[in-house]
Amino acid sequence: MQDFFDKALLAPLEHLGRQVLGILPNVLAMVIIMGVGFAVAWVLGHVVERVLRVVRLDHLCDRLGVNAALVRGGVKADPSHLAGRMTYWSVTLFAMIAGLGALNLKPINQFAQSFLAYIPHVLVAGVILIAGYLLSNFISQGVLIASVNAGLPPARLIASLSRWGVRLFALAMALEELGIAASVVIVGFGITFGGIVLAACLAFGLGAKDLAKDYLERTLLGRERNRSPDDLRHL
Amino acid sequence: MGSYQMKVHDARPLRSTVSLSEETEARLSDIGRTDLLVGIPSYNNADTIGHVVRAVSAGLAKYFPDHRAVLVNSDGGSSDGTTEVVARSVVDYGALLISDRQSRLQKIITPYHGIPGKGSAFRTIFEIARRLEAKACAVVDSDLRSITPEWIELLLRPILDEQYDYVAPYYLRHKYDGTITNSIVYPLTRALYGQRIRQPIGGDFGFSGRLAEHYLDQHVWESDVARFGIDIWMTTEAIASGARVCQSFLGAKIHNPKDPSADLADMLMQVLGALFALMEEHHKVWITQNESMPVKIFGFQYEVGVEPVHVNVERMIMAFRQGTDDLGFLWERMLGKEIVGELLLLRSSPLNEFRIPDDLWVRIIYEAAVAYHHRVLPREHLLKALTPLYLGRTATFVLETQGLTSAEAERRVEQLCMAFEKGKPYLVNRWNDEPRA
Repeated sequence: MQDFFDKALLAPLEHLGRQVLGILPNVLAMVIIMGVGFAVAWVLGHVVERVLRVVRLDHLCDRLGVNAALVRGGVKADPSHLAGRMTYWSVTLFAMIAGLGALNLKPINQFAQSFLAYIPHVLVAGVILIAGYLLSNFISQGVLIASVNAGLPPARLIASLSRWGVRLFALAMALEELGIAASVVIVGFGITFGGIVLAACLAFGLGAKDLAKDYLERTLLGRERNRSPDDLRHL
Repeated sequence: MGSYQMKVHDARPLRSTVSLSEETEARLSDIGRTDLLVGIPSYNNADTIGHVVRAVSAGLAKYFPDHRAVLVNSDGGSSDGTTEVVARSVVDYGALLISDRQSRLQKIITPYHGIPGKGSAFRTIFEIARRLEAKACAVVDSDLRSITPEWIELLLRPILDEQYDYVAPYYLRHKYDGTITNSIVYPLTRALYGQRIRQPIGGDFGFSGRLAEHYLDQHVWESDVARFGIDIWMTTEAIASGARVCQSFLGAKIHNPKDPSADLADMLMQVLGALFALMEEHHKVWITQNESMPVKIFGFQYEVGVEPVHVNVERMIMAFRQGTDDLGFLWERMLGKEIVGELLLLRSSPLNEFRIPDDLWVRIIYEAAVAYHHRVLPREHLLKALTPLYLGRTATFVLETQGLTSAEAERRVEQLCMAFEKGKPYLVNRWNDEPRA
């Protein structure tokens, strides 16, 4: 009876106890890592927000049209606050993964490794999206001004097309970087872009054939447009 | 006006800041020194440069027979034989009744180095003037058709005999010729720097050797000044450095039309960009300047017929209207809601009653300068977005002056200048304000 008691009941309990005692330092390490990580995340988040306010990031973003885009997207926080929060959550996430890694459990370790290997792709995709957004605003603004100065009536439409063209391109690049349905993205982008170009050609050729004829005559044959003379010398 | 800041010639060795070709170096060694130097920048001007070279040669021979003189052609790599035309252009002095020519005119034909543009061509001319220790210099455009030998005397004599440092041209022009000059450059330069120089970007100037040296010492030659904006830069730099400035009446200016494909927006960007950049550099000079003074004009003034200019006012007003529709939100960021509100009211004006009033135009230009200073928008966008406004203002000027003579139209320009001067405190206040939110 005593033997049964020792083997059937105490041995598993002892084994469990040894396992618990074995894992306790790891749990303690996890708690410490997460606790310190949260504290560092909190401090870093505030520091980043404060520094960005000092260097007037909000003012710069306002000039670049980022604030207006955020408001349009329903985000009421300013860019400095957003950057601070992003820092906080990034450090928190790292702390959590590092903390869980301290448990030394195989599935968690595998997840952490995959996650860490994927982070550079996420960062590059983020940079591509931000750069694409800023570039699309800059290019569409330039296209709008050039179209107005050239007297093209659909100036805003042309500017919008250029803006969304650049954004689509950036989105396709970002998705490809993330490895999300890369072939679908490339084919989809190719079809969309090709379709836009074809539609634009048809629209120009059919809808504005006189304009196209006039343009080609002036470009290829050097024929002047039949319009009232205007030989102002501005300088 | 600020104190005279230019360096006076001294005995220190001459520094070489611009690389010259070996051939040019050899020519400089042969020539040694000169009294007068006339520079002609060129790029594919074979059709017209021969006349300019002959006029310069005749002018130097006729009016400065006992002075050593050098003609410098600074060429940007012409492929149409421009330099060959310069080399073989000669004057029949006998036919011009010039008999007492004592020294032979030296010619230097040199390529210029650096960023392609008129500014780099001038830099080479300034360097040669420094190396030859020229006392008086002039530069004239290579596409001039109306240049006469008298121009050379009028550009050089005030420097040689009257101790002026800078001679700006004074041309007779059609009332609709030079509309950027009339509506922006002249009124703004006059209001800022207090000198009434009627053609600040004329293109043909006289200057002293020491002013050439001062120009060379400025660190602008790798900037946009080297490409464009050299004319307004020379004028402004001369005034801001405290140089003695005058004007010479040269009669009508007839030159080859600019490349018809040259874009108005680009032109406006170049000129206004240079003006606004100079405002930043010399703000200590202009911010304390309160009123303008007349600038002496040399030469015998006369009336002359000028080429007619055809203007399509309707097209300009349509461009303005499209600007209000499509660029209104950008103008609001550059110029403020109040100004854009006033512009929107003009949108529905009937063609014949369309007017951008003087005081509104003055505020537009001053606010644009402030927006450029505070970098409210990318600078190229900001300057190009002003094109429809400029066309609206030009249409206003044409509508207001269509029945007037050139002299009467000139009085209208004078009124605009007074409005710029009156509105200057507004600019001074706005310049140091925080950027518009």
